[in-house]
Amino acid sequence: MKLNIDGLLVYFPYDYIYPEQYSYMLELKRTLDAKGHGVLEMPSGTGKTISLLSLIVAYQKAYPLEVTKLVYCSRTVPEIEKVVEELRKLMDYYTKQTGAKNDFLALALSSRKNLCIHPEVSSLRFGKEVDGKCHSLTASYIRAQHHSNPSQPVCQFYEEFDSVGRQVPISPGIYNLDDLKDLGRRKGWCPYFLARYAILHANIVVYSYHYLLDPKIADVVSKELAKKSVVVFDEAHNIDNVCIDSMSVNITRRTLDRCQTNVETLQNTISKIKETDAAKLREEYRRLVEGLKEANVARETDIYLSNPVLPDEILQEAVPGSIRTAEHFVGFMKRFLEYLKARLRIHHVVQESAPQFLKDIFEKVCIDRKPLRFCAERLRSLLRTLEIADIADFSAITLISHFATLVSTYSKGFTIIIEPFEDKTPTIANPVLHFSCMDPSIAIKPVFGRFQSVIITSGTLSPLDIYPRILDFRPVTVASFTMTLARTCLCPLIVGRGNDQVAMTSKFETREDFAVIRNYGNLLLEMSAVVPDGIVAFFTSYIYMENIVASWYEQGILENIQRNKLIFIETQDAAETSMALEKYQEACENGRGAILLSVARGKVSEGIDFVHHFGRAVIMFGVPYVYTQSRILKARLEYLREQFQIRENDFLTFDAMRHAAQCVGRVIRGKTDYGLMIFADKRYARADKRGKLPRWIQEHLTDGSLNLTIDETVQLSKHFLRQMAQPFRQEDQLGLSLLTLEQLQSEDMLQKIAQIAHQA
Amino acid sequence: MASLSEEVLLVVKRVRQRKQDGTLYLMAERIAWGPEGKDRFSVSHLYADIRCQKISPDGKAKIQLQLVLHSGESTTFHFANESTALKDRDAIKELLQQLLPKFKKKANKELEEKNRMLQEDPVLFQLYKDLVVSQVISAEEFWANRMSLNSVEHSLANNKQQEVGISAAFLADIRPQTDGCNGLRYNLTSDIIESIFRTYPTVKQKYAENVPHNMTEKEFWTRFFQSHYFHRDRINTGQQDIFSECAKQDEKGQKSMVNQGVKNPMVDLLSLEDKTLDEGYGTAKVPTTSNPSNKSLRENSNSAIIKRFNHHSAMVLAAGLRRADAPSDQTSETSSTDGNSRDSDFFQPPLKKVKLQEAIEYDDLQGETVRKTIALNLKKSDRYSHGPTPLQSQHYTTSQDIMNSISIIQHEMRTYKPRLTQVMSSSAASSAITALSPGGVLMQGGGQQTINQLVPTDVQGELKHLYTAAGELLRHFWSCFPVSTPFLEEKVVKMKSNLERFQLTKLRPFQEKIQRQYLSTNLTGHLEEMLQAAYNKFQAWQTRRMMRKT
Repeated sequence: MKLNIDGLLVYFPYDYIYPEQYSYMLELKRTLDAKGHGVLEMPSGTGKTISLLSLIVAYQKAYPLEVTKLVYCSRTVPEIEKVVEELRKLMDYYTKQTGAKNDFLALALSSRKNLCIHPEVSSLRFGKEVDGKCHSLTASYIRAQHHSNPSQPVCQFYEEFDSVGRQVPISPGIYNLDDLKDLGRRKGWCPYFLARYAILHANIVVYSYHYLLDPKIADVVSKELAKKSVVVFDEAHNIDNVCIDSMSVNITRRTLDRCQTNVETLQNTISKIKETDAAKLREEYRRLVEGLKEANVARETDIYLSNPVLPDEILQEAVPGSIRTAEHFVGFMKRFLEYLKARLRIHHVVQESAPQFLKDIFEKVCIDRKPLRFCAERLRSLLRTLEIADIADFSAITLISHFATLVSTYSKGFTIIIEPFEDKTPTIANPVLHFSCMDPSIAIKPVFGRFQSVIITSGTLSPLDIYPRILDFRPVTVASFTMTLARTCLCPLIVGRGNDQVAMTSKFETREDFAVIRNYGNLLLEMSAVVPDGIVAFFTSYIYMENIVASWYEQGILENIQRNKLIFIETQDAAETSMALEKYQEACENGRGAILLSVARGKVSEGIDFVHHFGRAVIMFGVPYVYTQSRILKARLEYLREQFQIRENDFLTFDAMRHAAQCVGRVIRGKTDYGLMIFADKRYARADKRGKLPRWIQEHLTDGSLNLTIDETVQLSKHFLRQMAQPFRQEDQLGLSLLTLEQLQSEDMLQKIAQIAHQA
Repeated sequence: MASLSEEVLLVVKRVRQRKQDGTLYLMAERIAWGPEGKDRFSVSHLYADIRCQKISPDGKAKIQLQLVLHSGESTTFHFANESTALKDRDAIKELLQQLLPKFKKKANKELEEKNRMLQEDPVLFQLYKDLVVSQVISAEEFWANRMSLNSVEHSLANNKQQEVGISAAFLADIRPQTDGCNGLRYNLTSDIIESIFRTYPTVKQKYAENVPHNMTEKEFWTRFFQSHYFHRDRINTGQQDIFSECAKQDEKGQKSMVNQGVKNPMVDLLSLEDKTLDEGYGTAKVPTTSNPSNKSLRENSNSAIIKRFNHHSAMVLAAGLRRADAPSDQTSETSSTDGNSRDSDFFQPPLKKVKLQEAIEYDDLQGETVRKTIALNLKKSDRYSHGPTPLQSQHYTTSQDIMNSISIIQHEMRTYKPRLTQVMSSSAASSAITALSPGGVLMQGGGQQTINQLVPTDVQGELKHLYTAAGELLRHFWSCFPVSTPFLEEKVVKMKSNLERFQLTKLRPFQEKIQRQYLSTNLTGHLEEMLQAAYNKFQAWQTRRMMRKT
């Protein structure tokens, strides 16, 4: 249907629309008009993606000079592919309605592992191997060698792309990962570099967060994206962690050992080259004196060694003299390495700030701040000069150099923690140096600064005000949308007690309590008897799950559950878990029904949807707090309190509740879907926890569903499931939660829609 | 004694029935009892009619055996021969135990099928009531036609009988009981053994290898329960254990399953993440430097339990599928003992596309979704669209003609150009429309009310029943033509009398009733016409037959 959103003609590729979609588009339009940033929360399964795409594409078509590009960031590969498919649907609709040929270029970009078509390279299993192998075939000096020595293998797909592919622009259309690969195979071009090149002039780019947030990649891939782009972060509830992860470094003794061998290899190579080709080193020296100009002509294939700090922090000056010659630099690295080794040889925990660390290193081994800042840059230059093919081997020294550059660049927002052993095993020495970022706003700041509109959106962003605070930006719109429902298809219940009235909670003091574990088991057992098809249960941590499963096994609870359903359990091994997941779905599919025991914050809770019969109930055992004893977390909490005036408890609860909401949200993926959401911890009933759940869940949490016993829960569930089992037709929804164009245009509906958006 | 020609399997004398002494015979197809001194059976049941047998508990004074029939009746035999009563009874019981199941299925299936059909189809039930209960036709006649009608789908549904899956908790059902002297007793039933074999083919293999020659069955199961294979959570490695090999094979199977990866890209956790952080980056816990020694024994056993549950569930699932796949030829060889029973190549790329499409679909946003309907399977579609037409019919339009004309009209409509100068004014047009709509000036005379406004609902209902009943009878009647066999001849005569009886006992009273209510008698006109048509046909047939005879 064709919609009029505040004066903008929007093509929407469906015959019907949810009221909240309309409302969402209105808010989005306002944000784009204001050229500002926005935070928008809308439940999953209400067609967020298609609303976003419809509006922004319409905007792009209407004002091609105002918004030149849409950069859509999502989290996982399936998500990315889904977005592109929805886009394809939209574009098909455009062609059908307007009759004009599509002139949009939209494409997905992913890592080499998902795009490589080189027969040898693509058969490798791990992304790192693929990257390394690709690099060894396409690095600029390898290709130069190939010119003089044709027996040196190169990647024919890249060569072909390099010689022909750049001149011919890729024709307009929608390119998903598989389409790119097909195109690459047809033309003999490397799909990965084709995509990297094409994003510069594409109208829509869909890729993962890292390409914008991780400075190591963003610098190379996303450097030249136009300012007039709209950036969307979908599923952004975890965006702060992505930011932090991309700037944090851990160094173990093993890293140092491997770094040691790296340094030795470097030394040997240098002395070898010195004998054969000393001019090369002299040339490099000359270049370094001239400054870092060569960085600008760095080849796209040399992405592997980029700077870990944000572009605006990179010094635009020459490398200091003390590390300019190759031998000096290696010596410098050696000294740094020895220093780190000495620091790891401690017996108590040390926590210090970056300036303290720099001061100490200066006092102990006389290393200045400035050469440290150039470490990453200098190493990159050296590795290129030495023409080292297999760069994956040098990951340890790369890591150390990144650490050096980071620690000397940022004086605020980071902390260094050196732990001599793990908390659980105090007898085994396993020293780790954590250099951890505490301020997510550091990594995302350039994004907010550079692009005119950044939209942060997800199904679970509550409480909305916290994201602008921790990411340090000023949004022009902050809104939360609820799900309009013709029937209440979600049923959140808070179970606080067992039938024996013992409080149910995963609180640290009582979590090992026999009665609590048994009650949890009884809850699952009872639910397995009343809920059809699939049940997903989440635990607060992996270890907790293991313990509970073991004691349920001993108590025979699992055996009884098996009478009703098959049991599958998430393990720490991703391949094993994938298999369990597939079997779980199979069991739901063939009617046997199954239970999946899983972990909050795990991969399942973040990336897998349990639509329809794959999840008729979610049980959240306990409140998924982070492990609060971790020093990194403590440091971060302290930082948050000092910098952003966020109280520790507020943040912890916020973090726990967003993960809980994520877990339970997995079960509802649309208005025709239905599911029970069972929060099995009495603490959920408290206002401070409940209030942090997304509005669309909170709405359905009545006073009657707080602090239930197991029996009451079973009763309510039975009632709910029986109601939901009734046929649900489109007519039931129409006019309430589903609108035709005419209904949408009626006066009082527009009024109602205005209320859907909840301004924070 | 005609029945003596049957094969007699067992004869037991001195069996009382209703306080009368007599002899019990078990024959190939039935059980019979005759009182002493008479050469005729006063009790005789086909095995197919027997639902179950019951015996009196051990230790009771009277040693009895009761047969319960499907009809609910029961017959009790009392074994009176004091010395051998128990033995006699048990012999009968054993033999019946073997015989009954063979017949049970056949009879039950038919009965159940009939029952099911009646329950599922209210129209059929009404018909049954109208025709059989009121004794217009006999039940057999009623079903004879019905069953054959359904026989196609029936046989399809039946010979691929659904395999019963395995309870996931079958191991839990073997509750160990202490026998009082420091031992454990496990109760194994044949069902459980079957389950174990189906779920764990390796155990079956071991069983086949070892059981008769190396050890007794009992010993085998004792070892099974003692082995750590059964108690896999406890980590101990007994090398001489015959099941350690099974455990290894299972592990191997599980590994190969994991290595194969998953077919559904949406659940593949390995390829979920686009770009994982390189080693050493990030705040997440550094993976423990993977020396298993620092894991406590408890943790190890915990993860073993988890692994075991996953494996067990996968095996149970696979066992169910294996059986289901086996008869359906193409997929059979893919089922392997490692618990993976899926075909790999037909799930490849298209699956990804399908799954993606599924994931982005909002079925309620989409417009009218085409409801899945069962397509009418027509052999001659022309016949369907025109109905049975008299053979001498002049000329009728074939569907081709109709199609053509439709397309011509469509074409004309497409090229239709309104001659805007010659249209009438909008006011004139709207007045014409009002005049022609119901209630308008021109619609006065034809104020036709439809039947459902005229006739009370109960009469309507009755009429409907009459129609279905008449339809059924007529169907029976017409299905006899062409009359080619003597059987059909007989049937057609019978059906005609049935029709007449129907007209007399059902239609007439109805007609009288509506006359009494002063409703237009026209209601049954069509019914009568249908009957008349049948009579005419019958007449024609009969005269022709007469002529041929003469």
